[in-house]
Amino acid sequence: MPLLEVKNLEVSFGLRSGEVKALRNINFTLDRGERLGLVGESGAGKSVLGFSILNLISKPGRISGGEILFEGKNLADMSPEELRDVRGNRISMIFQDPMMTLNPVLTIGQQMIECLQAHRKISKENARTIAIQKLQQVQIPSPETRIDQYPYELSGGMRQRVVIAIGLLMDPDIIIADEPTTALDVTIQAEIMELMVELCERNNVALILITHDLGVVSQVTQKAIVMYAGRIIEQGPTREIINDAQHPYTQGLMNALPQMAIPGQRLNQIRGAMPSLQKIPTGCAFNPRCDYVRDACTQQLPGYTASGNCQVACHMVAELKQAEQASEGA
Amino acid sequence: MTDSKITEQTDQQPETLVQIRGLYKKFNISGDFLDQLKFKGGKIVREQEFVHAINGVNLDIQKGEALCVVGESGCGKSTVARTVMGLITPSAGSISYRGERIDDLDDKQLLPYRKKMQMIFQNPYASLNPRMTIAQTLEEPVRLHNPDWSAQQVRDKVHEVMFSVGIDPSWGERFAHEFSGGQRQRISIARALAVDPEFIVADEPISALDVSIQAQVLNLLMDAQEKRNLTYLFITHDLAVVEHFGTRVAVMYLGSLCELAPTKTLFAKPRHPYTQALMSAIPRLEDDRPPHIKLQGEVPTPVNLPSGCVFHGRCPYANERCKQEIPKLITTDEGGQVACHGVEEGRI
Repeated sequence: MPLLEVKNLEVSFGLRSGEVKALRNINFTLDRGERLGLVGESGAGKSVLGFSILNLISKPGRISGGEILFEGKNLADMSPEELRDVRGNRISMIFQDPMMTLNPVLTIGQQMIECLQAHRKISKENARTIAIQKLQQVQIPSPETRIDQYPYELSGGMRQRVVIAIGLLMDPDIIIADEPTTALDVTIQAEIMELMVELCERNNVALILITHDLGVVSQVTQKAIVMYAGRIIEQGPTREIINDAQHPYTQGLMNALPQMAIPGQRLNQIRGAMPSLQKIPTGCAFNPRCDYVRDACTQQLPGYTASGNCQVACHMVAELKQAEQASEGA
Repeated sequence: MTDSKITEQTDQQPETLVQIRGLYKKFNISGDFLDQLKFKGGKIVREQEFVHAINGVNLDIQKGEALCVVGESGCGKSTVARTVMGLITPSAGSISYRGERIDDLDDKQLLPYRKKMQMIFQNPYASLNPRMTIAQTLEEPVRLHNPDWSAQQVRDKVHEVMFSVGIDPSWGERFAHEFSGGQRQRISIARALAVDPEFIVADEPISALDVSIQAQVLNLLMDAQEKRNLTYLFITHDLAVVEHFGTRVAVMYLGSLCELAPTKTLFAKPRHPYTQALMSAIPRLEDDRPPHIKLQGEVPTPVNLPSGCVFHGRCPYANERCKQEIPKLITTDEGGQVACHGVEEGRI
């Protein structure tokens, strides 16, 4: 049994103008110790997916269909008490901006001890010892003094280390990190990512990394999911996706990176922009921007086609595969 | 200062458009007079604190090139951009445009230069006036800089720039909030291009945008450069963009220039230890890249600058000389310039 299994997940937001589906037909699994990257541009639904795993979608949004099975139990219909036992304890979350996540009027230590005491029966002294240990693990120099400091006394990189330490406090099974290094400089980003990979490997923690940066996904994760307009359009092993992307959107995203073009030449841009969720085109959501668009694309939502170890939602890929099979059969 | 003085010169040599010499900028962060009084050793003393944002930068921007300035947050790259544009007065040093000093001019004297130099800002959500329609936003600079144009001429000009950046001219009556981030940045670019400038300062113009939109905007900037013969001063933290876009690259650290080289040279053979570390930290798509060079510690605060080379505290090659003596830019064999004692002595 996989550690986490998401089945046909659907998340909707009830707006005055009608119900908007932010996520449709999401299926994936995550094993113990596995690192998964969720990639997509703003509005693709990657953060909503991260939040919905912890059932953190707030009104007017709701999980309108499907299951989120964590060790076989469905998180989508757990009571608030049961959820409290999972959140922060078995599955923890790291957010983008460390200044917003940390409480500015409490010291680092107070915040860490509070979290430990909420989940375990533990004395303050013992909690403090564990907190210092965790700060040491994330390579904060002199944690004994840092623990009594307030967030504003730390630099951005240090703060994100503290947030990671808090994420690791309860020795969770899964960490969901939502753009954890976007607010940081590249040299700090490289250090933090390296640290996270190392900690996940050492403690056998699974990681769901939400990011828009394909470079980071390539360096950190083993499996990747590419999202577009609330749907998974391609998923599979990271290396396969990076080296041989099948979906025209994934290809376009990759080719749009400056490092893929000859310096001084025009970049291969994808025309247009991601549609708003209220105005998703019929058929494949990517069809107005796609160079390979055919009749089926504007009429029918593409199903998933297996290509290598990847699943791709694209009519063109499906046709190519069919043709391949036909020629093999003949 | 008349307009004719700053128009075309016919020169075959690579012509220096903007010259920055010995630029310093410090910001006073000590508050008002009473805040500055401190009680020390039985006496009341007045203490002032400064952020040393730029510390002696010399740069020449050649006509027709795209000079990229890179560095991490707080290294002074945006301050350089704003000082060049005259939005900030330098504490010391000079800025010249086509040989005419412009940093000590008043607003009226600056006006003809403002027509030649335009700026594109990072955040298209903050740099467009929410209460003006797009047409108003674009018409304002055209009218200001061409007071003798008729209303029809102004409208034609605005249509032309809107068309050239890929914004439908019929959207002129809409407001900024009706557009997406990428479209807004196109409008900002149109605003800069509307007065036919020859020099554009772009401060992180694509970092607020999504990858596929970034490519669109970068292409647009490159097309504009080709068609209008523009010169760019391009501020960014993204080295992948620099490699693609830049003619030359200036790497800044804590308000000082550590390396200045043609883009190809810099990426083929970075000399300064900081440049090397910065380049190794870019997340790449390939899986077989060498591990990144780890730097010790974090960027020191620009309030109390380190003595000697500003990078010595984090540099793996630092020695006694680096701690005491500020390195000067020296020219390397490859044609770049680097400020490092180690490179000068041949140890790096």
